[in-house]
Amino acid sequence: MSYDLGKITETLIQGKVDRLTELTQEAIDSNAEPAKILNEGLLPGMDNVGEKWKNGEMFMPEVLRCAKAMSKSMDILRPRLTEGELGSAGTLVIGTVAGDLHDIGKDLVGMMFEGAGYKVINIGIDQPNENFVNAAIEHKPDVLGMSALLTTTMPRMGEVVNSLKEAGIRDQITVMVGGAPVTEEYAQEIGADLYGANASTAVDVTREYFAKAKN
Amino acid sequence: MKINQTVNNSTQFKVLSENQIEEIFYSALEVLERTGGVIYHEEALELFKNSHAIVEGNRVRIPTTMVEEALNFYPRKITLKGRNGKRSLHLQKDTVAFGTGSDLPFTYDRKSGERRRTSYNDVTNAAKLVDALDNYDFFMSHGIVGDAPNPQTYDRHQFMAMLENCTKPMVLTSVDGEGLEDLWKMGCMIQGGEDEFRLNPSFVAYIEPISPLKNDRTAVEKLLFAAEKKIPAMYTPCPSSGATAPATIAGMLVQSLAETLLATVMCHLKNPGMPLIMGGVTTVLDMKQSSYSYGAPELSLASAANTDISKWLNLLMFSTGGCSDSKILDEQAAAEQMMNLFYSYLSGANLIHDVGYIDHGTNASLESLVLNQEMMGMVKQFGKGINTDDEHLALDLIEKQGPGGEYVTTDHTFEHWKEWFLPKLQDRSDYETWVKNGSKTMGDRVKERTQHLLDNYKPEPLEEGLKKELWKVVEDADKRHA
Ligand code: B12
Repeated sequence: MSYDLGKITETLIQGKVDRLTELTQEAIDSNAEPAKILNEGLLPGMDNVGEKWKNGEMFMPEVLRCAKAMSKSMDILRPRLTEGELGSAGTLVIGTVAGDLHDIGKDLVGMMFEGAGYKVINIGIDQPNENFVNAAIEHKPDVLGMSALLTTTMPRMGEVVNSLKEAGIRDQITVMVGGAPVTEEYAQEIGADLYGANASTAVDVTREYFAKAKN
Repeated sequence: MKINQTVNNSTQFKVLSENQIEEIFYSALEVLERTGGVIYHEEALELFKNSHAIVEGNRVRIPTTMVEEALNFYPRKITLKGRNGKRSLHLQKDTVAFGTGSDLPFTYDRKSGERRRTSYNDVTNAAKLVDALDNYDFFMSHGIVGDAPNPQTYDRHQFMAMLENCTKPMVLTSVDGEGLEDLWKMGCMIQGGEDEFRLNPSFVAYIEPISPLKNDRTAVEKLLFAAEKKIPAMYTPCPSSGATAPATIAGMLVQSLAETLLATVMCHLKNPGMPLIMGGVTTVLDMKQSSYSYGAPELSLASAANTDISKWLNLLMFSTGGCSDSKILDEQAAAEQMMNLFYSYLSGANLIHDVGYIDHGTNASLESLVLNQEMMGMVKQFGKGINTDDEHLALDLIEKQGPGGEYVTTDHTFEHWKEWFLPKLQDRSDYETWVKNGSKTMGDRVKERTQHLLDNYKPEPLEEGLKKELWKVVEDADKRHA
């Protein structure tokens, strides 16, 4: 058996979910190093997709198909990668705050993170504050994302930030917030680390943040 | 005398043929039998369990017979009466009313030119303009009362802000069932009791399912309360094609009709004969910006088609128009607002809301309300169609004035030019006159008109005794939630 990392890149860009899973499995069966599959097969593909998306050559349905393919492929690779090899591809826990039923915005953010190689745990809508804290304790995510689409539910996000402090885990987690009535200014006010105006900037902002933190 | 004549007293516009509507209707029935919907409300599930529907956990599948039965019970006419005492709004087939949208978190501040959060005061200003401008038939809050003492009671404060300066009928959003109950109590106080409110409702309650095919506890709580008290209400799906509904308009219409039909059955099981209105903000998710579009041509097309369906079902329709994705009131806003105003009007929807929205339903602009007044006038003029009786064919006049004659000074012109649309903000002057008058843009004129109305218009005040009683309900709610 042999493997072709260029084929993996190409298949990812084409958004062929099942085919990419097959190729990933084949590569592993052919003893390819998992880190190599990630770094030389998948990541160049997602970089290309990201570029095309920014240049207006690719649109949401195409990009999210690629993200889905990436995510399925990562499901196979992740258990085989060491912490260091995972690099920037961490874990995101995301949900919509209590009293708020707006769904799709945070789903899109989650999918974009999957495209960036993240493991995404979507805890759903209308989540009480303690569920965010518990999910943070349980999954130890790199990023905790909260979505609020209502003026009336925005305050829940600040409350969660405080609860994270009380639980003594605030420093271990990067808190990111977003949603239509949420602004950069508001994010700062409530002590969140990051604000994402939309799904794709959310990924960029996070990348920059971690890149800075490293230096 | 002539026979076999057809005269169009208005322009005619239809998107779907009757056969297409049937296709969509049968498909929606199929969705309810095969896929069904989920409901997160105990009483509603109980109602379905005691019927011929199949309930598995929260999933409810509904046989067609139940839908057909329920559909027989909805009114084809609802008349609304504002606090001005006028039964001004007759909702019935092909009678169109325009109104604002609600709850905008931000306001475009006219003085600073910056975006800031919306307050009580902004809602009273919007109320004043809507009361003053005659093309607005009903009022939704435009902005949200973001400075209410408690988010759990903001709806009552918002109603007060609206009532302060607006006498017209309203469409109200509410926090939950308890909120709607308070609003209804206030409505009854205004109309003089429960029975009077039932015959002369002053508002319609705005309620929404969660597309796709989900009914949350709060929405159902409101809907069942409305059914119990026979409060007019719309259950208006807000699907985004490609995200929370199929990417095809037909598929989106099928799904949102299934959501509507599920509600007709649910209300019917609770209390037959509630004044339920069909609705829908049917649009696409922008696939570049991932935003819910209020300016897409697909919104106009899907909304007009939805109205065709509503008329075929004999249901009244709550639709969308006069709204835009543009961040400010600019050329994009005018183009988009005009387009969806126009087609929503021609479609004959009964309540057309969101007039004046900019920034896809997040930003309030008083000036946008004023611009739309002019645009609604233009649209209504077009809808009047063309009169072809003898007086309007003007044969005698053409003969009298003859080749090379003039019409400016004739009695006929003196009489009929008044049928035309008279612009108040549009500028049709020649270049020199325009320069002499300050070279003003439409935006400049809209600004001046807005300020003028805010400074000079005096709405009929809310009667002091009544006002106190109403505030009492609000204060009680605040105490309960303190
Ligand atoms: C669709 C919709 C609904 C649907 C939601 C269906 C669903 N499956 O999600 C339904 C019908 C259920 C609904 C209900 C209500 N809604 Co609503 N809704 C909208 C609407 C029109 C579009 C939202 C949307 O889907 N946008 C598309 C997605 C992709 O964008 P997005 O959610 O903004 O997310 C993007 C960014 O914000 C960001 N983002 C979002 N979350 C996060 C999180 C993180 C961590 C990051 C980094 C980024 C991020 O990235 C996303 C992708 O790019 C908005 C108007 C608007 N333009 O926002 C009103 C809006 C949010 N709703 C509003 C209101 C008032 C309500 C109701 C209260 C109405 C009522 N009285 O019944 C209820 C509340 C129900 C509840 N308890 O939550 C108001 C809020 C006003 C305010 N001042 O708070 C808005 C602004 C409209 C309006 N002016 O009335 N709504």
